[in-house]
Amino acid sequence: MNVTAPALPTAPRLSGWLGAATSTDHKRIGLNMILASLAFFLVGGVMALMMRTQLATPDTRFVSDETYDALFTMHGSTMIYLFVTPMAIAIGVYLVPLQIGAATIAAPRVALAGSWTWLSGGLIMQSGWLTEEGPGRAGWFSYVPLSNSSNTPGVGQDLWTLGVILAALGMLLVAACVLATILRHRAPGMAVLRMPIFTWTELVTALMVVGAFPVLIVAMALLYAERMGAHVYMGYTGAIDYQDMFWFFGHPVVYVMFFPYLGAAAEAIAVNAHKRWFGYKAFVASMLAFSALSMSVWSHHMFTTGGVTNQYFAFTSTALVVPAGIEYFDMIGTLVGGALVFRVSMLFALTFFVQFLIGGLSGIYLASPVLDYQAQASYIVIGHFHYTLFAGSIFGFFAGVYHWFPKVTGARLREGLGRVHLVLLTIGTNMTFAPMFFLGEKGMPRRIAEYPEHPGWATLNLVSSIGSGVVALGVAAFLVNVVVSLREREPAGDDPWLGHTLEWATSSPPPRHNFDRPLPPITSYAPLLDLRERAAEAEGAHARRLAAGSGGLGPSPAERSP
Amino acid sequence: MGALVETSRQYRHLFDIYVPIALGVFALVVVILAVVIVRYRGRKPEQAASWHEHNPLESAYAVMLGCVVVFLLYVTYRAEHQVDTVAARERPALTVDVYGAKWEWHFHYPAYGIDRYSGSVGHETLVLPTDEPIRMRLVSLDVIHEFWVPELRYKHDLIPGYPQDITITFPDAGSFPGQCAEFCGLYHSRMTFTVDAVSPASFAAWARAHARRSTAHAASGGVRIGAHVAASAPARLGR
Repeated sequence: MNVTAPALPTAPRLSGWLGAATSTDHKRIGLNMILASLAFFLVGGVMALMMRTQLATPDTRFVSDETYDALFTMHGSTMIYLFVTPMAIAIGVYLVPLQIGAATIAAPRVALAGSWTWLSGGLIMQSGWLTEEGPGRAGWFSYVPLSNSSNTPGVGQDLWTLGVILAALGMLLVAACVLATILRHRAPGMAVLRMPIFTWTELVTALMVVGAFPVLIVAMALLYAERMGAHVYMGYTGAIDYQDMFWFFGHPVVYVMFFPYLGAAAEAIAVNAHKRWFGYKAFVASMLAFSALSMSVWSHHMFTTGGVTNQYFAFTSTALVVPAGIEYFDMIGTLVGGALVFRVSMLFALTFFVQFLIGGLSGIYLASPVLDYQAQASYIVIGHFHYTLFAGSIFGFFAGVYHWFPKVTGARLREGLGRVHLVLLTIGTNMTFAPMFFLGEKGMPRRIAEYPEHPGWATLNLVSSIGSGVVALGVAAFLVNVVVSLREREPAGDDPWLGHTLEWATSSPPPRHNFDRPLPPITSYAPLLDLRERAAEAEGAHARRLAAGSGGLGPSPAERSP
Repeated sequence: MGALVETSRQYRHLFDIYVPIALGVFALVVVILAVVIVRYRGRKPEQAASWHEHNPLESAYAVMLGCVVVFLLYVTYRAEHQVDTVAARERPALTVDVYGAKWEWHFHYPAYGIDRYSGSVGHETLVLPTDEPIRMRLVSLDVIHEFWVPELRYKHDLIPGYPQDITITFPDAGSFPGQCAEFCGLYHSRMTFTVDAVSPASFAAWARAHARRSTAHAASGGVRIGAHVAASAPARLGR
């Protein structure tokens, strides 16, 4: 067959805003989603601050009950559907092709369409604020029958439902592209068991998205039909069916909101320890076990409904101890014997592991139905998942930001401001979320706009509210750092940290098709570290030969083999 | 007959196993991290070790974690058997029908014809005897509510369309706050009640004094939304 090379596309490239919005470059798509997610993070954060203001004292009347309901619904929805989940996928869109030596993402136009579908879902959901009744206000999981049109009337809840459908559909499309990229676009030599740690976390994440998100889309489409007058979720079984479908999405998604950040923290730790990630195969196996288990734990959200087999879901949920324990073992194994450098990325990654441990251990507690009978729907649960998502994932996210910012922008973030950011965020996070465990144990339920003056409640809530202000200062320090670092650039070079993976073997930022120079040989999951180790070995061998007076004869056969 | 199942004691028993283990694991990881950080900081990149795998060690560690899982499940299953199965078999000394409706609790004592209302429009206490198993029949009349008395360390959903029974015991006399734990709409935070746990003798006296009186009150009153939902309850449940 005689095939001539197709001519390069000659259509005029769009430039400026329009060009950035329609680019099929995975880096542009990823960056757009990252920036939009960050904007939603700030929006959701403002809602959190408003809630904490309301809860600062028992008698604060900062917002009405109705506004408070809208705030906690939209805070949860914004953070989950519009920030932590899409961000987890978007950093994969940017980094995965670079890490596996691919020139493009698979199906770039699908990814572009997905990113816009997601964003329109987000804007539709938020547009509820402009309606007369306000936005969705039945909680981020909007149980039926509360979320039907007679119990939560108004177009705001309709917009919320539509927004969730579109946001989930968009993320599903984008994640499918990431999955296809990993499966089909790896560079020659990039065997599955040579993929970097972060790419592995994105792979299992994409698998969970593809498995779980369609169920959410169906559950929400049926909820929309219900709100439009169809009778879908009838009576007790309807209520339980909705919860089963929702949490079949809702539990895997908490790992979607965790694994990529774990991967980011792991890369930051390995690079800053100058040692490759410990226990690669065990880690890969544990990730696969983790994601498989995560698809079978969903009903631990339903222990108090009387409609599920509690023992089974207690078993699957408690079994998560094993893969989670492997991760911690590997993290410590990476540090032991390393040469540790405490850049801000490293500090965030270490804080991630310490703080996530609190979230993880409290999760084991919640996996026991008898303990959950007290903890469910209380502030214990709020403390637990904020320790996993905020004290955990967000710290992993910032570890990744400090680690990869030079790659994306060509400039380093300031270390000093980064330390201020870290310290404020750590103090604020623990002040905000640690008191919630005690409040929940004392009996404070979630989602109440006012609380009675039981002994100790006022103090704990006040500490929590002050902490949320400190978190806001920490986030402000981060934004200042970004602005300062971009205005007065400290050029980073291609590989500022002695990276391990292929994204450090190209320019910063990478060119349109990622690699303008030949890829280094891909010999393991840390190919650049391999190169350095081999160079050091050769140097050592050379030095030994010189010392032995045998210089000039070339390497011995034993030294020549890799 | 064995001792009555006390949900709060089962909770405390598990709490005293889970929480010390969690605190111990946390302390252990932090100490190991601190030691490793101090030991391996400030070395030159060339000094970093190149070993990066020890599968036998990790396998042994995974087996150890598996044993921890088995142990935790064993103690959890034992406690859950008590709370969910053994308690349900106890013969109740008293049955109370609990109707949840936005945003009001209606407690109906069928044996005495007593009705008590608590929530957004009033605050009558739920009077219960101590040291006796009490069967609560949980019925929701609109959306999902949740019966929670933190003192019991126990809660259960009220899901429309299917009444569910729980069996609880108050070991100690006292006044204990309770509330709806599942978000149920606008005035969810006001859907509260108070349990007055009193000795069986006091309870008997209270029940005698209040028998039938409050139903007459509800019939004559008219402003209590609980009374309306109570009247419509059988029709809704039959749906």
